[in-house]
This record gives sequence, structure tokens and C-alpha cells, in this order.
Amino acid sequence: MRLHFSRKMLGIPYVVFLLFFVIIPMLIILFYAFTDREMHFSFANFIQFFSDPTKLSTIVYSLVIALITTAVCLLIAYPVAYILARSKMKKKFVILLLFVTPMWINFVLRINAIRELLSWIGLLGETNYFNTILGMVYDFLPFMILPLYTTMLKIEESLYEASADLGAGGFTTFQRVTLPLSMPGIASGITMVFLPSMTNYVVSDMLGNSKVTIIGKFIYEYFGTNWHMGSMVALILLIVVFLSTWLTGGLRENETVRGANL
Amino acid sequence: MKTKRIGALMLAAAALLPTLMTAASCASDNTIVLRVFNWEEYIDEGGEGSYQYDYEVNEDGSAPPIIEDFETWYEETYGTPIRVEYSTYGTNEDMYNQLQLGDEYDLLCPSEYMIMKLAAEDYLQPYTDDFFNEDIEENYYIRNVSPYIRNMFESNRINREDENDTSTWADYAAGYMWGVTGFIYNPEYVDEEELAQLGWNAMLEPQYNNRVTTKDNVRDSYFVALAILYQEEIAALAQQLETGELTDREYNAQLTAILNRTDADTIAAVEEVMNEIDANIYSYETDTGKADIVSGRIWLNFAWSGDAVYAMDLAEAGEDEEGNETESALLNFFIPEECANLWFDGWVMPKGANTQAAQAFVNFLSRPDNAVRNMYYIGYSGVITGDPDDEEYGSMVFDYIQDCYAVDPEEADDPVEYDLSYFFGTEAVFYAEREQAEQRQLHAHYPTEEVTLRCAVMDYYGEEANEAINELWSRVKSESLDTWAIVVICVGIVLVIAAALYVKFGGKIDPFRSKPKKRYKRIRQENCY
Repeated sequence: MRLHFSRKMLGIPYVVFLLFFVIIPMLIILFYAFTDREMHFSFANFIQFFSDPTKLSTIVYSLVIALITTAVCLLIAYPVAYILARSKMKKKFVILLLFVTPMWINFVLRINAIRELLSWIGLLGETNYFNTILGMVYDFLPFMILPLYTTMLKIEESLYEASADLGAGGFTTFQRVTLPLSMPGIASGITMVFLPSMTNYVVSDMLGNSKVTIIGKFIYEYFGTNWHMGSMVALILLIVVFLSTWLTGGLRENETVRGANL
Repeated sequence: MKTKRIGALMLAAAALLPTLMTAASCASDNTIVLRVFNWEEYIDEGGEGSYQYDYEVNEDGSAPPIIEDFETWYEETYGTPIRVEYSTYGTNEDMYNQLQLGDEYDLLCPSEYMIMKLAAEDYLQPYTDDFFNEDIEENYYIRNVSPYIRNMFESNRINREDENDTSTWADYAAGYMWGVTGFIYNPEYVDEEELAQLGWNAMLEPQYNNRVTTKDNVRDSYFVALAILYQEEIAALAQQLETGELTDREYNAQLTAILNRTDADTIAAVEEVMNEIDANIYSYETDTGKADIVSGRIWLNFAWSGDAVYAMDLAEAGEDEEGNETESALLNFFIPEECANLWFDGWVMPKGANTQAAQAFVNFLSRPDNAVRNMYYIGYSGVITGDPDDEEYGSMVFDYIQDCYAVDPEEADDPVEYDLSYFFGTEAVFYAEREQAEQRQLHAHYPTEEVTLRCAVMDYYGEEANEAINELWSRVKSESLDTWAIVVICVGIVLVIAAALYVKFGGKIDPFRSKPKKRYKRIRQENCY
């Protein structure tokens, strides 16, 4: 048998990757979530999760922390991306670089630096939730700026001119031109900030002095003692994230998400 | 067709992989492989951090890792080459997970409760009779282990789940390092006498609010809460000991029983105490505490004795962990009067282990010169004391301790006799500075008999209690909302999302213009309110 080379075969590495690192692990999580310690099928974890106020509270807290983080990131990133995309500056990539460079520095180092800074100001151990959100915003801001910037870069200048010609003021132009056309960037930015800020417990441990518990920490702790419950929490998180991604339109096919090119 | 071919290719690759891996792993035919799974940084890894003893060193003055020495020694002694496959883990639970995933090892070094859990789940293989034969020269462990540790190992049952199983810790485990828990405190801010009065209650003390830390680990936190919860009962026991109603042995047994309570009422009461602690402490930490106490950010740090010695050394030298200069300060160690936790890590062999090689490894590490090397490198206290009849190695451990702490009573300011005879099993008394003996490194490194008497070992809680306590821990650590608050917030989030969707689509969607896909309909339904 001769193997014919075809273009489709270039996809083999990806298929293998997908199989071993996405599909099989997902099935394993699903299997563990719906079994008990004796490996019998059971809904016990599911019922326990939804009847335990602690777990629901933690989900709610994580959601709120993630929502605030995403909102703050959006508030900071949107104007920056807009100004950068529209400015005629020659060296604007330098400014963009300044926002992105922190991403290239080791994450633990950055969080430690913030920790020292907070401790120096005297906030460490005092405002645990604020510190956590601050760390998350600092950490995930580039993930919001980049997609927004690339989307806005692609908005034709002529559209703004047309809008002005037709008598639209600044706000109307924003509402009718900028905002709708930057939607894909917003959607992909939100997706990329929202999920990690629900699970990145290193930030909440280091900056919240381990007194802030988010859902990621929960999963980590359960995997030390009870894999089945841990899998169930992971599965529920997956569903929450899936729902929120769907709601923000990250999965809409007719709008190509141009910003997701990180 | 094409997919079949891809499948065949993958199968071929999958079939090849194991063959390749085995080919790579067995280089030599008769070399024994010993798979050791240990804590991170829990063995002398050689280099400049090694204890400069009278053993061979490399040309540059650094020592080879102890594992290499073992490989040489084993081949010389038993005539077969051996290769140690050494890997490490960060927590007992990580190790347990690896075992459950099917990883195979010959030797593990878990903590006491994990040893008991493994024994209860029938993972372990007992040590062979050979190992306990004191006439064999190479049996360094049994010849040199501290009588105190040996007695403890021989008098405690390992499997509490099965009434009929009378085997003891000694049957399944050989000790490695041990220690106690207490507080490191900064005497600049914390009054010694006040702290002595408070004991474990310091965790709740308002004047230390936001200045005290505990461990981010359920067992240590549970222990502290038990000690606070049952302090009156514990004090009554101490009273009985003083009046002679209880013997030392009975006292310790009853104390240990109190500090191992896991009944439902206890767990419920502990939850309240833990919530109070949660409100008072600065942080839950695993390793930031040492830096925080050295820098003066916190005043009190719940610590294991080995870590305490390390932190006190750092503070004394005026250095932080990175070696930067800081203000030199003295830190003290305090073991509460009422009780403390005694922990140990021990070597155990999983079923199917190569017992001969594993036991040889334990014995090699237990040879007093190697025990000293490890103690020096790790900073914890080993279980080895030395065989008094052994001229070559017998006094090495005691010499090492004296090197560290002994002073000349003629010259020292305020010398006190420090008696470790209980630990060594022979007369072992030396003079030390009073500060060292009562509140500094020596106090933490080698507590006296009087301290160990009020120390309790924490057992494995058992499956059911373990689950309940883990749940309790997650309740304490997370913020609990009332049900109505959860409902309100959820509804709020849904409303915000709905509002956002309304702004975004604002009734502009005409499902019949674009392709009528199901999800558009769903979005539209959400827009209805």
C-alpha cells in the first residue's frame, strides 16, 4: 500500500492533538463527574453541587469577579484601542507594545511584583477582593486591547467620513459605526478575559491572601481529595463559560472574529 | 479510504511508541532500577549547600548528591549495579493521585496520615524481617533509629479502619524526618508572657488581627481549631497529670484522642472556631509566611518546626529569601503550653516494590553520616540518633547537634542544661544558651521530652470524616451567601445580560431574512421580556 500525500494529511498532527488533549480529557471529565467513588453512575455530585450554598456562592462570587474584571478591562481597553487605531501617529506600535510587553514577562513575577506594591501601599490583606480584581485586570488587559485594536484598525476611514457627511454627531457615529463594527473585537476580548478570570486562582491566592476563593481554586482543591466532585465543578464551569460565550456572540458564525489572532 | 489510512498510521505510531520507550529505558541488562518518590528538596542534592563532612568531595569542593553515593555504595556492598529513578511531589495528595493513576514506585515518603490512609487502602508492603535484624551491619536504620521514634512506631496501630489488623507503623514505615508545630513570633511586637497565656487562642486574639497567619491546608487548620475548642478539657488533663492522677502515657493517649475527634458535633463546633480564625488572620499561606514574618509584615506565623528554624536563621542573618540584606531581627518559636501537633514523614514501600533495594536505600540514608548530611541540607530533624556501641558513626548526630548549639558553660552568659536523653536513649545532655533552649532554633529543632509529652500525632480521619472535613474547609474558606442573595444576584446577572442583548439586537432581528437557525429564535425569546 502506498501512502499518497494529500493536503488533508497536514491536519494529522492537529487531529492527534485534538483527540488526546481535548476530546479524550473532556470525556474523562464527563465520566468522572457522573460517577461515584465506586465508579458507578450517579447524579450525587450534581445534586450535591446545586444543594450546597457554598458552591453556589463561590460560582456567584467568581461570576461577579469575572464580570467586574471584564467590564473594567473593556472600559480601559476600548478608548485606548480606539485612539490607537485612529491616530495618525507614526510610532503607535510603540505604545501598543507597551501594553503588550507585560504579557511577555513571567506571570508569577508580575503578580509577585503587584503583591509587593500592594503591601508597600498597605492594601495587601486589607482589601482582598479589590486586590484580586486589580491583579486580574492587570493580567488580562492585553487580551482585551489586542482584539479590539485589530478590529478597529479594519474600520474604513471612509465610513467615518460618510457618517460625518450625513450629519451624524460624534455620539451617533460611535453608536452607529464604531460600536457595531467593533462588536467582534469586543466579543472575542470578553471571551478571552472572562474565562481566565473565573479560574485564575494564583491571582486570588497571592493578592487575596488565599482568603478569596474562586471556582478555579475549588476545582484545584477537589482534585486533591475527590476527583468526581472536582470534575463536576469543572463541567459546570464549562457550561457557564459556554453559555456566556454564546450570549456575547463569540460563537456567531456570520461575524468573523477578527481579533482572535493572538 | 483516506480516514482508514490515517487510522492505520496512527495505530502504527501507537504500537511503535512503547517499544521505543522500553528500548531507551533498559540500557544495561542486570542494573536494578529503584524508583524513589519523595518530597521536593527533601534529600541532600549535593553542591555547595552540602554539609562539609569528612567524605569525598568533588574537585571544586562541592559534594556529589547523596543518591550518587548510594549507587556507588550499593554496588560495592551488594555487587549489583543500581540506578535510582528519583522523582518528587509537592503535597501528599499529589503523591496519592500519582499512585492512583497507576504510577509505580519502590519507595515513597508520605506524612503520617497519608501512610495510614495508604495502609487502610491496602497499598503498602510491610518491611521484611531482615530489615529489623540488628546483627546485620548494613541495617543502619534499625541500629541507629531514635528509641523515642522507634517506640512511637511500635506502639501505634497503622490501620484504624480494620479492628483485626494489629500491625503497627513500624511494620510498614521507617521514619525519616519529624517535627512539631507552633508559632514563629516577632518579640518586638508580641509580648512573650501574653502569648504564653494565650496559647493557640492567639489565632483569635483581636490585638493580632491581620497580623497572624495560618496554613492553607485543612489538617493544620483543623488541629488548631480543635486545640482552641477543647482547651478546657485539655487543661483539665494537664491538671490531672500534675497531680499524678494520670501517667505520662495515659495523659498523652487521652490528649491524642481529643485532638483526633471527628464526630459530627465536633465538626460543627470546629466550623465556628474556624470562621472566627478566618476573620482574624492576615492570610492562609503555604510559603509566603516565612518572608512575611522576616520582613515584619506579620507578627505571628503558624509554622512547622523545620521552617521555623529556617526563618529564624534568615532573620538572624539579616537576609531575606533571595539573599538581600534586611534589618536583622530576632524571631522566636513558641510551642503552646496546652498541646501541639507532632508530625513525621516516613519511608513506605507500595505493593510490588523491590524490597531489597528499597530497604537498602532507607538503610543508607539512616547511616548517621548521611542522616547528618540530609538534616543539614533540609533543615528538619531526622529520626536517626546513632548506635552508642558503634565507634565509627555512633556519636555523629549528637556531635552535629552540639556543633550547632552547645556552648561552654564557663563562658556563656546564661547557660542551661539541655537534656535530649529521651530522644537518644543514652545520656545526651549539653549546655546551651537559655534563649536557644527556650525560644530559639534549638527549641524548635529538638524539643525536649517535656514538650513532646504534650504533642499529639494526627491520624488519618477516615474516608467519611475526611469528606466532611474537606467540605467544612471549603465552607470556611469561601464566602457564603444566603439563598436569597444568590437568587437576587443570579437574576441581576440575567437581567444585565438580557439588557445587553436588547441593546445589541434591539428588535432588529428578522429571523426570516437570514437563514432560519434555531439559535436566533432562542435569542429572540430571551428578548421578549
